[in-house]
Amino acid sequence: MTVRHQTFCAVVVGIVCAIGLAASERATPKTHTVTMENMRFQPEALTVARGDTIVWVNKDLVPHTATSEAGGFDSQMIPAGESWSYTVRTKGEFAYLCTYHPAMKAMLRVR
Amino acid sequence: MKLSAITVAFAGLLFFPVASAPAQGINDAQIASIVVTANQVDIDAGKLAASRATSEEVKTFARLMVTDHTGVNKTATDLAAKLKVTPQDNPTSQSLKADGDKSVAHLKTLKGAAFDKAYIDREVVYHQQVIDALDKTLISGATNEELKALLVKVRPAFVAHLEHAKRLQASISTAR
Repeated sequence: MTVRHQTFCAVVVGIVCAIGLAASERATPKTHTVTMENMRFQPEALTVARGDTIVWVNKDLVPHTATSEAGGFDSQMIPAGESWSYTVRTKGEFAYLCTYHPAMKAMLRVR
Repeated sequence: MKLSAITVAFAGLLFFPVASAPAQGINDAQIASIVVTANQVDIDAGKLAASRATSEEVKTFARLMVTDHTGVNKTATDLAAKLKVTPQDNPTSQSLKADGDKSVAHLKTLKGAAFDKAYIDREVVYHQQVIDALDKTLISGATNEELKALLVKVRPAFVAHLEHAKRLQASISTAR
């Protein structure tokens, strides 16, 4: 095997590994749950990776929303007892609130 | 005589929450009626304010009261049906209804900033009274565990509404 061949093989192996790693990262997105109960988001601060899904579960008797203050996501109304899920694609910090009950505030960080 | 004693005790509880002792002998059917009536009274005031208030913030709050208290009432009536409890009219629910009707009638005589202020002042007092009633009488008085759990679960919403109304009360008085 020539040096040129060895280099070629190493590059191919490298690319395959990189694709494999990227694929495995993409293949294992997590699902996180945020409950809306007692007029609070729980947890109030959550850090997730891009591609992860967050499920907001409304356990209160009144409707809520999960709405990013600077845009990005907005659940609209989540009725009592129902949930809404959102898969994050963008890195950043998202302060969000319930538009009905603006004292309900929380933070979502996307790595 | 027993009923009038409850009326006096409950009226005392609502208007002088700190000074009075908790009313005794209230049953689950009466509690269910008090919960439904208390919510309905605030829905009625909210519907009026949603159309008559001047400030957008007050209108938004009024719409929220209609939505939230309607949601709570649906849960309460569903639970009563499930438990086969028929809400039982009683002096407290009757006085809540009478006071609510009187309050709405008074609000209808007002306009503009005076209406907004009277409505929000009323909401502060009303939510504080309901929280006091929950804490002093209703939660401890409920015998059915599911009814008790519902009362506990609904309390944070009343607290959030009270705080929201107080913030509006402060901003209205600053704006004037």
